This record gives sequence, C-alpha cells and structure tokens, in this order.
Amino acid sequence: MSELTRAIQETAQKLLQNKEVELVVGFAEGSLPLRNTPCFVRQPEEAQRLVWGYGCENNLANYLRQRPEKVAVVAKGCDSRSIVELIKENQIDRNKLVVIGVPCRGMIDRKKVTRLLAGKELLEAEIRDGQVVLKGKEFSESVPLEQLLHDTCLTCQHPNPVLFDIMMGEPVPVKEADSFVDVANFEVKAPAEKRAYLIQELSRCIRCYACRQACPMCFCEECFVDCSMPQWLSKSSLNVQDNVFFQAVRALHLAGRCVDCGACDRACPMGIDLRTLTRKMVKDVQELFGYTAGVSLDQKPPLAAPINTTSPATFNQDGR
Amino acid sequence: MLLNKGQLTDWLNQLMQAYQVFAPIKEGDYFCFKQINSGDQATLNYTNSKVPPKEVLFPRSEKLFCYRCENDGVQLTEQIDESKKIIVGLRPCDAKSFLLLDGVFKSDKYHDPYYLTRRNNTVLVGLGCNQPASTCFCTSLGGGPFATEGLDLLLVDIGDRYVVEVLTDRGRELLAGMELPAADQEAKETARRVKEGAALSTQVNLEGLKSKLDVIFYDPIWDLIHEKCLGCAACTYTCPTCHCFDIVDEAEGNEGCRIRNWDACMFPLFTLHGSGHNPRPTGKERFRQRVMHKFKYFVDNFNAIACVGCGRCIINCPVNLDIREVLAEIQGSEVRSDKQ
Amino acid sequence: MKNPYLPLPMRLVKNFVETEDKLIHTFTLEFLNEEDEKSFQYLPGQFAEVSVFGVGEAPFGIASSPTEPGHLKFSVAKVGVVTTTLHQLPEGTILGVRGPLGNNYPIEEFKGKNLVVIGGGFAFTTLRSLITYILHPDHRGDYGELTVIYGARNPGLLLYKDELAEWEKRSDINLICTIDRPVEGWNGRVGFVPAVTKEVAPSAENAYAVICGPPVMIKFTMPVLEELGFSPERIIMSLENRMKCGIGMCGRCNVGNKYVCKDGPVFTRAQLNQLPNEY
Repeated sequence: MSELTRAIQETAQKLLQNKEVELVVGFAEGSLPLRNTPCFVRQPEEAQRLVWGYGCENNLANYLRQRPEKVAVVAKGCDSRSIVELIKENQIDRNKLVVIGVPCRGMIDRKKVTRLLAGKELLEAEIRDGQVVLKGKEFSESVPLEQLLHDTCLTCQHPNPVLFDIMMGEPVPVKEADSFVDVANFEVKAPAEKRAYLIQELSRCIRCYACRQACPMCFCEECFVDCSMPQWLSKSSLNVQDNVFFQAVRALHLAGRCVDCGACDRACPMGIDLRTLTRKMVKDVQELFGYTAGVSLDQKPPLAAPINTTSPATFNQDGR
Repeated sequence: MLLNKGQLTDWLNQLMQAYQVFAPIKEGDYFCFKQINSGDQATLNYTNSKVPPKEVLFPRSEKLFCYRCENDGVQLTEQIDESKKIIVGLRPCDAKSFLLLDGVFKSDKYHDPYYLTRRNNTVLVGLGCNQPASTCFCTSLGGGPFATEGLDLLLVDIGDRYVVEVLTDRGRELLAGMELPAADQEAKETARRVKEGAALSTQVNLEGLKSKLDVIFYDPIWDLIHEKCLGCAACTYTCPTCHCFDIVDEAEGNEGCRIRNWDACMFPLFTLHGSGHNPRPTGKERFRQRVMHKFKYFVDNFNAIACVGCGRCIINCPVNLDIREVLAEIQGSEVRSDKQ
Repeated sequence: MKNPYLPLPMRLVKNFVETEDKLIHTFTLEFLNEEDEKSFQYLPGQFAEVSVFGVGEAPFGIASSPTEPGHLKFSVAKVGVVTTTLHQLPEGTILGVRGPLGNNYPIEEFKGKNLVVIGGGFAFTTLRSLITYILHPDHRGDYGELTVIYGARNPGLLLYKDELAEWEKRSDINLICTIDRPVEGWNGRVGFVPAVTKEVAPSAENAYAVICGPPVMIKFTMPVLEELGFSPERIIMSLENRMKCGIGMCGRCNVGNKYVCKDGPVFTRAQLNQLPNEY
C-alpha cells in the first residue's frame, strides 16, 4: 500500500509540476480509522497529502463532471468504469482527463466493522498480511481482511482500471465471475415478500439524498424527485411507498449506466440496502442486452439506442 | 435515588400508562428513538442514536393541518399533537439541542405550536455518557457527558444500577410510585468515579472563531473547503440543531393536508427563486451557509453556537468532511478584512 | 398566541390579466369572515402567504393599500407551481391567506419628507400600495413631494395602467413612466430607469428613495442615487428571497443573520451594506 501511495504522490507531483494538469483528485488520510477522504491537490508540494489505503471507498468520478480545467484522477476499477460511462454521456472530456489507474484489492466496509464490534468503538486499525487488527478501548482483535470488505468488492470483476493513462503498481488477480446469487435469491421471492422487504428497508429513509448525490451517474439537472410540475412523488415521508418509488425510479434511471460501485449504498447514513435494486438492474441489463456498464468506450449504452417510434407494435398513434 | 437496572422495564411500563415513551431501539445496525410499547424494548447500552431525538418533537414529516374545500369556504383542522411524552435515554448533548431549538420556534412575535406543544408535554430523562465516542466534542461547546442542562432526570450508569439525579419537579413526578431508595455513599462514590472516567478525546478550539467568521464571508477559503462535499443532507438531517423545513400540500380531490418536511441548506432548490435566480448557486455558498449559520448567525441572533458536539455529522458524512477539520482550517486562516 | 401557519379563508373575486404578455395577473381577494378582515391590519411593504389549497402556498407583496378596505390585491407572475395554478383559477375560488408578514416601508419616518419611488417591471406591487396610501386624502398632507419613476420593457408590461393614467392627471404626484425602447403610440419617456433617474434628478434634500425592481436595475440605479446625494440610510429597498414559513423559522430566506421574512423584506441600503450579498 505504501508503495502505491508513493507512486501516486510522485505521479501527481510530476503532472502538476509539468503543468499537464491543474488539479489532481485523489484520496488523503481521513479523520476516522480505516477512512480515507477525497482530496483536491493543486500544488506539486501538496501531492504528499495523497495516500492509498483500504478506506478509499468513494467513487471519485463524481467530482469530474463538467470540469473546466484539466484534471488527473486517482481511479480504482469502479471509478474508471464510471468515468467510461460519463465520457459516453458527454459529462467528461477525455482530452482534459488524465486517469491515474490504481489496481484495487477491495475497500473496507466500516458498517461491517461496526456490526462486528457490536457497540465497541473502533479507535485504531492496522492492516497486515491479509489481517485487520481492530483496536479500541481495552480491546484488540484480528479479523481476516476478506471478512470486512464491501460486498461490491467481493463480487467486483474489474478491480483493475479499465481505462487509464498511467498505471500504478501491478494488476491484481480478477475474481471468479459474479454469480449474482444475492439477486437470484431476491428474484425467487414472492412479489409480496419483495415488496415487504423494500418497504421495511426504505421505511428508514430520511430523504437526505446522499445516495443520489454520491452516485457519479445521478447528474440530472433536475432530479425527478425535485420536480414540482408535475410532481411525481410526495416530498414527505409520511408514506413509505414514496421512498420505495424514489429508489425504484432511481435504479431504473441507472439501468445500463450503473457500474455497481456501491457508492449509493455506502453513502446512506441509515444503512438501507440499496444494492438489491441496483444489482437487479445490472443483472437484467446483462441478461437482456448483453451489456456491462463501463467496460468499453466503444460499446453504446443499450438504453441510449434510438427507439423505433414508427413500429406499430411498439407505439400506437397516441404515443402510448 | 437509585434504580436497579432490573427495575427499568417495570418503570417504563408504568410510565407508558400515562405517557408515550420514546427510547433508543435498535433498527438495522443503528439506534433510533422510537415510541416503545413495552419497557423491554428500550436499549440503553448504546453510544448515540443515528437520528437525533429532535425527530420526536420535530418529525421528518408532519401534518400542520388538514382541509376540506367546500362550495362556500374551507374547513381547516389543526393537527397539533398534545399527547404527553417522555424521551428516555437521550444524551446530554441532545437535551441541550432542545434548548437551542426552543429559541428558533419561539420568537417574540411567533410561536410554532407544533414544536412547542410537544416540547411542553415532553419530559426528558437523560443518560450520562460513561464512554463518550472519539467523535464527541460536547465539552468544547459548554456541554459534558453528564451535563444536566435541559433535562428533567439524569441516569448515571454505575454498573447494575442507575443513580437517578432529579433535576426538576417534572422529573420527580416520574419517579412517584417507584419508592426508590436514596443513593448510598458507595453508589455516589461510584457515580463520581464514572463521571471522572468519561474523558473526551476530542477538543475543538472555538476561541476567537466568531470574530474570524465575522470578517471571512468573502474569503477564498470557502472556494476550497467545501470541495469534496456532495451536497446531500446526511449532516443536516442527523444534526440535532438543524431545523430547516419545507412546507408542501398533499391533496386528493377537495381534501388534503399541509405538511412540513425537513429541508436542508445543502440542496440547491432550498434557495432557488421562481425567476431562476439563486442567491446560493453552488456548493461553496451552501456549505458556507451551513458553517456560518451554526457558528456565526445563530450566535448573533441567540448568543449560542448551534452545535452541541454530538459528532453525528462527522460519522455520517459520506465523504468524511469533518466539521472539526473545517473549523480548524478556518481558525488557521489569515484574517483579512472582508471584501467582496 | 395563535397558530401562525393557519391561513384565513378568502374568496378570489377577480383574476385580472395585468400585462400584455399575460404573465402577470392581479388577484383581488375578499375575506370570508368579517373578524378576519379586522384582524388583518397591514401597512404598505408587507407581504402575505397565499394558499391554493391542494397545491401549496407562496409569498407575495401586498399590492393593495390599507386605505382600500374590504379586499387584498396581489399581482403575481407565473413562475412556479402555485402561481401557475393561481393564474388558471376561476373567480369565486376559495383561497387562504396568512399574514400580514414582514415589516413595512417606514411610513412614519417618511412623514414630512419628499419621496422618490423607483420601480421596475413587475416589482411595482408594494410600491403601488405605498403610493396609494400616501395619495389618500387622510395621508397626503403628511408627506412632501412625491416623485415616481416607473419603467418597463414596453408599455404593455406596465402594471396598473388605469391607475397610472389617473396619477398622471393629478398634481400631487410627479409620475414618470419609461420604456426601454421606442414603441409606436408611446408618448412618454424612453430609456432605462437608471438613465431616466439621472435625467429627472430628484433632489435628495429632505428626501427618501424607495426602490424595487430587477437586480440589474437596482445595481445601476444605486450609483445614480448616491450621486444625487441620497445617503444609504435614506435608500429603502425590498428583498425577495425564497420563503416558506414567512415567520423566521424555516431557515431559507436569510441574508447573513437577518431573515428577509421576519427582519425584512424592507431594508435600508445602509443595513444591506452590513450584510453579505446573498440575495
């Protein structure tokens, strides 16, 4: 890890020194254990703030849309896939972006840590030889790293950036194909059961929209939840069904664009399971269109293809 | 007074006959204040709730009134919640937040009957913090793990029992019928040691912050300080002192309700004019507003900082934008005369 | 203390298309209950929250004057969901009104002084209230000279055309209307408000200026007023930040530590100079 940190710092410093970019977006040390935080570096001497660790969980593609200046970004596999989709959607100008690719071994899910510690507070952590040593007041326990990684990381098929200009370190091995067993388990449930599950999860939603804001692909100028003419759904949370509706439509908007980076799920302060919906969408798009978002710049997004409106089978004259 | 932990359930069950009782209960991985219908649901061995108990007095969504339009007029029905409530197990920082919210909802000219009615009908039973979290900084804001400000009773956990500190008559009434023994010397001594042991690891330097903020509005520091902020409301909705709201109508046919929902200064729509003009058009202005509101404007208007140091915004920020670091950065910036 | 969120029921008695582009309508509302009318004591400059039941409420400056009892008038531009619905409402509809809210123009301070009222576009509503109030026989004697400079893009966009015509005829008000570009049939002045103000050059001596209009008009008129010698304490403005509660609680309309709804909407230039530029 420290080697990657050093490589990132040197690369960033050079890019800034040579004025190849005006800004490097990467990660710095965070203020909490096992946490790194997005960091914006503009001066070569500030490049030493950049680090790489197991807490670089944010998707930095979120900061790259419509930027006026030339930017370099530290990108792991999922960030790079979002970048690919954003380039296709004309949100990022490829010519103004330098991708510093970093092979990713997965990021630590602090919710899993919280669950494991069952009320004890994590004050310090150390990662060595595939083990995470969790320390707090009067305790220290060692847990296999694999047990603490985000679920997204456990099924991730693209830990190595799919798009990069400069690569840091050596590629990491790719896991077995994602079997989507979690989605399959959800799919076999009866409709009432699925509904009950979503209602139960989304009853906790406080409509803070952290999920939407954390998603690199949620960039609609006016989000449908904010529309007042027409108002698609209630702005209050008196009725949980509106929260479900919000997430369902959000997931649908992301069909063929979601790279399953898990940013929405990680951002949710209420710990709501948002990935069941987005993963279902990812699986459907793969099955129906043979499309995996964010792996190729050349492949057209399936739902961006023009719809044949003259086909009478699809639309009648009223447009229905 | 002394309350055996084994008596807690009975006590809450007894209180439930006359009051709605709200207590921390586990939801998913977190704790939230919810109305309980059995004393054993309350879980008092928790650090702090995900959403502050402000939601008991100022819910995420609430009906202000319902209406029915008729040919010759309109029938309005106020929806004021007059039920008597107890919040059990809230932390001293959250109790302090109610004192700050009181100022907002009660001005010389206007009283907000929804908040104030609930407030007046709610008794607060606090729980001291034997082990404050590393993100807690209440002492920097004049609070403390065992501060009693705003509380009616304070429970001090001394192992198998609680020392109950009676702070108001309303608090005393809750104990009627329990025939609790007075705290003995040993219990008092244990409580004293527990309090001493509850040291905070975090201090935030607020000295001189206000005078700095007075002249820093146009400082370039704001261009950078907000940069990683995503513009969500995780910080404001989990903040015990944030109180901004929106008012909307929900109706079907000629009947409907006027509802108020939490709203947040971090959203662009919050200040967007009908004309399209927005006085706070980017994340920079919105983030500045959040800091300024808590640490300057509120001080100007109420002579108090609108932060109780609960640390929720630190824990819940999806990008680890830490208010302690923001304040330190402002403190460390050069003072310059404020010019546009 | 009464519940400040409950609207008083009123009947829409007139939905009048005010401007040529049909984007501004003037609504006349009558109280359903006599006691409500008595309790609704307002002064020029104040605003109210108007409810369209089922759609929502929005704040508007009160365009009528307390010297016109029996009704309230609001001139409303079609911009959002409440205003769009309002524009389509048939006369007779029951609406709700909360208020009066906010502060008023300092009419007590104005007494014995000359007044220069400057308005632009559809931000003339509370200025109409002020002018109507001053022109009332009970009040006219309390004030000195009254100069009104009112500009719009073209004649069709001027509000209250009938009243402007009446004021034109009066000798106790000096009304100067102007439009941005010459139009056939317009005999009045042509030019932007700041330039016209400079030409007319009302004296600042013993005078107050009251100015309402689009930001760009205010921006360029301000130096003219300063040049004429109006001190910041004697330039009165009305702000229009987005509002919801109207009573200083919902937290969105603040400019620095002041709430436009509660501490304003009327501020002096001197007060605004002390506040950040978030309006």
